[in-house]
Amino acid sequence: MTLQKIADAMVEGDVETGKEMAQKALDEGHSPNQVLDDGVLAGMEVVGERFKNYEMYIPEVLSSAKVMHEVMEILRPKLVSGEQASNKGTVVLGTVEGDMHDIGKNLVGLMLEGAGFKVIDIGIDQPAKNFIEAVKKENPEVVGMSALLTTTAPKIKEVLDALEAEGLRDKVKTMAGGAVIDQAFVDENGVDAYGPSATAAMEITQQLVDEVRKNAS
Amino acid sequence: MQVNQAHYSTPQFSVLSDDQCEMIFRGALEVMERVGGRFFNEEALELFRNSDALVTDDTLVKIPASMTLRALKDSPSKITLCSRDGKRDVHLGRNEVYFGTGSDCPFIYDRETGERRRYTCNDVYDAARVADYLPNIDFFMSLGLASDVQHDETYDRHQYFSMVSGTSKPLVVTAVDGEGLRDLYEMEQLIVGGEDEFRLNPRFAVYIEPSSPLAHGEEVLEKLLYCAEKQIPAIYTPCPSAGATAPATLPGLLVQSLAESLQGLVLAHLKKPGMPFIMGGVITIMDMKTSNYCYGAPELSLSCAALTDVSKYLNIPMFSTAGCTDSRAVDEQAALEAQISIETAFLSGASLVHDVGYLDSGLNGSLEMLVLCDEIIGMVKHLGKGITVNEDSLAADVTDQVKPGGNFLTHSHTHKHYKQEFYFPKLLDRHNVETWRAQGRSTILDHVNKSLNNILETHQPEPLPEGVEEKMKQIIKKADEKAAEGKKG
Repeated sequence: MTLQKIADAMVEGDVETGKEMAQKALDEGHSPNQVLDDGVLAGMEVVGERFKNYEMYIPEVLSSAKVMHEVMEILRPKLVSGEQASNKGTVVLGTVEGDMHDIGKNLVGLMLEGAGFKVIDIGIDQPAKNFIEAVKKENPEVVGMSALLTTTAPKIKEVLDALEAEGLRDKVKTMAGGAVIDQAFVDENGVDAYGPSATAAMEITQQLVDEVRKNAS
Repeated sequence: MQVNQAHYSTPQFSVLSDDQCEMIFRGALEVMERVGGRFFNEEALELFRNSDALVTDDTLVKIPASMTLRALKDSPSKITLCSRDGKRDVHLGRNEVYFGTGSDCPFIYDRETGERRRYTCNDVYDAARVADYLPNIDFFMSLGLASDVQHDETYDRHQYFSMVSGTSKPLVVTAVDGEGLRDLYEMEQLIVGGEDEFRLNPRFAVYIEPSSPLAHGEEVLEKLLYCAEKQIPAIYTPCPSAGATAPATLPGLLVQSLAESLQGLVLAHLKKPGMPFIMGGVITIMDMKTSNYCYGAPELSLSCAALTDVSKYLNIPMFSTAGCTDSRAVDEQAALEAQISIETAFLSGASLVHDVGYLDSGLNGSLEMLVLCDEIIGMVKHLGKGITVNEDSLAADVTDQVKPGGNFLTHSHTHKHYKQEFYFPKLLDRHNVETWRAQGRSTILDHVNKSLNNILETHQPEPLPEGVEEKMKQIIKKADEKAAEGKKG
């Protein structure tokens, strides 16, 4: 009941109720993992589904994400290490060099976090070497690159070349998105996948993570 | 604080200046005095004979300007129409705009076969349900002419019953003659409770159309005089076509249209001073290649907007025209013609804007067109809402908090305002190309059809009050019996 109320608060974007119910759930004896799975992630699943079906507006999704962050603040100290690290997969996200746009990338990041992925957002205007650094440090399954401008889209290729040069190209899968990116662009430039929307990115990320893990085993 | 500010929160639009309105008005007064009008109704002629008007040549009536000015002084500038549950929803007056359907289209495209066929009572009922559902349709006219009745002389009672069963919204009705109108009025009183109640909370206005140029038929005048007697709002609205039944110049078209409406106004006020009167028109051009009476021409929108300026100058509510097309199908032509007329009529500030949903130059009443126009009206209304400029909406503080390079998507100011500031379309597609392809490359007509199917399958109107249906059917039965009797005799 209390866990359901956390999920409902996520959907409603109600920060106060979300925090209150998370605390109450812990007091009632639910484990932090239960609160995470059956409260937070259950709520984000509904949000993701509704957003995908165009039943929720973007600012509402961002409100839900805010509830998630606040509840995670309460849960994080109580989640023992190991449990805390998501096992769904890790994604490094960034907007490529010369491009200052980040709303689309942020939205993708929020949806992925909501779906349970660990998201390392390296920010906007990131040269290829910063993507490489992050891959070395975080060991992600997926690298996501965002570009809004026709002038910055070619920088995606530079990131791929740098991964190749560092011998990392086979260890990760890559995806790209943004207003000027389409399937033809990723095909031409050797990117592994393209998603037209934040919700599509969620499904694609899952596929890419599965492929990387399958290849590794 | 700032002083001496001129504030506009809505777009400003007019075609004629006050001086030009006065010129059109004087032109109409001149036509009424010098040319006059034909009145084919004995009661009307008797009323004119007992007044300052001059009746010559049996039926020709010339009205001095003094009579017209007196009638205008008595004519109410505010008329309210009510929905079936008594809500005073439609406030006619300057710059308060309401949209609704038209009446009397003989044809409809069958939704199953796509073939053109005659309108039925059930089509009228369906049209009423769709209008009942659509948020931007404020009043309902029958859209089609119910043809599946035994006697042509009583189709209006059957049609009215389908209308009132299908929607609670205020109505504009058409009637065969004075007797038909009396029956509709009696049927409506079963809902409102009596004549006094109807006078204060009118449920319908009556569409009455003189014949251009400057002629007023027997049944037309029966209906107008009945409206005056009972103080039922009367819409006296000519349909002249420039170049054929009116001068080819738009000012000449306006002068004649106004003269035709004002001839009706003077007569109605002779019968009952102060009766509620609405002027109007479908005033347009004849297409000089095809002889088509044009429902989608820019001249229609321009002259209706100009006549609306004159109506505001005279302080009489205006019945205008929009959301209609000459196209024979719901297609690109239909959409672009409807958009131009809806936007122009809305910005002109006409009171009742009718004919939304007309295809085929007024011959085909289309539910698809009605659904499409509902979205156009929604967008145009949003445009008409204009812009409120104040400290909060200027948002300097918010911009300061977001800083260069930030985003506004997560700011509480965005959450507070976007749902009011933005228009949320129901039928327009804003998906990116991949999503659009994945969803089957649908066009707006696909969305219209999906939405219409959904309305027809699910929307149930408020049922008529207990016992009303039976009593209405008795009135209809009596009229049908009388018509059968007449045929025997």
